[in-house]
Amino acid sequence: MNGLWLNIFYEDDIFFAKWNRIYLFACFAMNDTEQISWQTDGEVGLVEWHDFTSDKPFLFESGQSLPGISLRYETYGRLNRDRSNAILICHALSGDHHCAGVHSMNDRKMGWWNNIIGPGKPVDTNQFFVISSNCIGGCQGSIGPSSIRPDTGSPWYLDFPDVTIADMVHAQHRLITEALGLERLFAVIGGSMGGMQVLQWAIDFPGFVNRYIPMATTARQSAQAIAFNEVGRCAIMQDPGWNNGRYLSGKGPNVGLAIARMMAHITYLSDQGLEAKFGRTRQNGSSAGKRFDAEFEVESYLRHQGESFINRFDANTYLYFTKALDRFDLFGSEQSLDSSFKNVQGKFLTVGFTSDWLFPPSQNREIVHSLLRCGKHATYAEINMTLGHDSFLVHAPELYRLVNQFLLS
Amino acid sequence: MSTGHNKRKTDQQIISDWIRPQSRVLDLGCGRGVLLEYLIQKSSIHGIGVDIDLEKVQSCVKRNIPVYMGSAEDLMEIYPDRYFDWVICSRTLQDLQNPAKVILEALRVGRHLAIGFVNQGYWLNRYTALKDGCLPQNEVFTHSWEDGNPFHLITINSFEAFCIKHKITICSRIYLRGDWERHLTFAPNLRAGYAIYNLKAST
Repeated sequence: MNGLWLNIFYEDDIFFAKWNRIYLFACFAMNDTEQISWQTDGEVGLVEWHDFTSDKPFLFESGQSLPGISLRYETYGRLNRDRSNAILICHALSGDHHCAGVHSMNDRKMGWWNNIIGPGKPVDTNQFFVISSNCIGGCQGSIGPSSIRPDTGSPWYLDFPDVTIADMVHAQHRLITEALGLERLFAVIGGSMGGMQVLQWAIDFPGFVNRYIPMATTARQSAQAIAFNEVGRCAIMQDPGWNNGRYLSGKGPNVGLAIARMMAHITYLSDQGLEAKFGRTRQNGSSAGKRFDAEFEVESYLRHQGESFINRFDANTYLYFTKALDRFDLFGSEQSLDSSFKNVQGKFLTVGFTSDWLFPPSQNREIVHSLLRCGKHATYAEINMTLGHDSFLVHAPELYRLVNQFLLS
Repeated sequence: MSTGHNKRKTDQQIISDWIRPQSRVLDLGCGRGVLLEYLIQKSSIHGIGVDIDLEKVQSCVKRNIPVYMGSAEDLMEIYPDRYFDWVICSRTLQDLQNPAKVILEALRVGRHLAIGFVNQGYWLNRYTALKDGCLPQNEVFTHSWEDGNPFHLITINSFEAFCIKHKITICSRIYLRGDWERHLTFAPNLRAGYAIYNLKAST
């Protein structure tokens, strides 16, 4: 046991006990010493983003095109001499390119996957060159509906082409090959919508990537997931501020977007997780006189989620991205996932989380079933966590070990 | 621990010798993937393991062995008939919820099924049960009753009766003594500590 493990798992007695057991078992019962793979723990620290811009036209899956694209991205770690250690991180619906480190020393929040990416962390930036890009159609630096179109000088609004998961991947491919000059990736990793991109990478660019880690995801959006997205879209589109998508920055359908986020956020959690975090705890010093004000902590938590979302996310992008999710269907016209996967290459580690009811374990298993039927190198692991869909984003030592060992195996 | 090491080695060696290079192999209850790793190195087989335990799955991932975390029945269901050249069920039978279903399904998806189990008819196991008046606990049966795991006592006679009942063809059988190393043929139900079968479905 070295100091790092004590550090990471200090608060996680159950895991620690389990680990101890494996360790002892490994030492005494068989010739299978489970050496600890990562030795030092650190942070990527201060990072800055870059913008990839290209004047070459981009053709969308819909047949529409743009005269050029721009994608915002960050990188951590260093590319090795034979350019073989690059890992692409794909973000989920409301994520962005900033997945590790901080932009300034005053930042209170670190990148969204800072717990898994960094020197000595499961995606070890001492060994790997990590790339994270903001999706096409996004609103955080990459070209999207709120970007200014060159011919009119006003935003694209809804004239921006429809975006699919494949479009996101094809734009990333241009970033990887044109801006970074890479001819291959060591791995692509992502959860939720990011997991869909991982699968799309495997299908559209076979041989380009060595290893794939999709997690908390699906090969096709389910009716329930479409249903939730539709409620969110309706909330946005029925807000008068939406104005058919033509609104000024900051003056859009803020109420609708906040409600969409509040509702969606519930689908990322779980009954058990909400109960443990909030229960029926009432707000301290709440304005009890107002009969329908936020009375319970869970209510004010959701209101806060909604309000903070409108400051960082564009309502039109929300419409575009939720449609991209809903239209995602790797079963295709042949209704066969196997025919989509038959030409994929490389190794797959798919991870499901027991309490995820948005993209439940069964949908993650379905991916692996098909890969295995196609004779591919595929592993399925399921992690027992109570925090719902967002389990992949929180402190999850069992996920850390899987990801780290898969990348190093 | 040296006997334990040998005990592990002999039965797995026998199964490994049956399996031809490049075969497609499914290992039910693959544990940490030791056998599959050996088969991949020795015979370049295309293997997949299945295990219910995350810690074991993590070990397989570390070994670069593809593994499916879940139940053997759920996994086998996805495969067409005779997809695998070999299905292995080594030291797993005693822990299965529904052994008959798993064996019959394994004979559907595999051309051959290699199955190995501890013979509880072995005289020492009988004696221990009589003397202590309790279930045996040993290298394979590590759990005590209070752990609540399903826990089947299998004997050579009862297993072969099962094969007859379900018209399963026994292509070959190997009985090992109490040391799980030396072979024997006479009075196996009483004298063998471990039994290994090569089975296939009757056509």
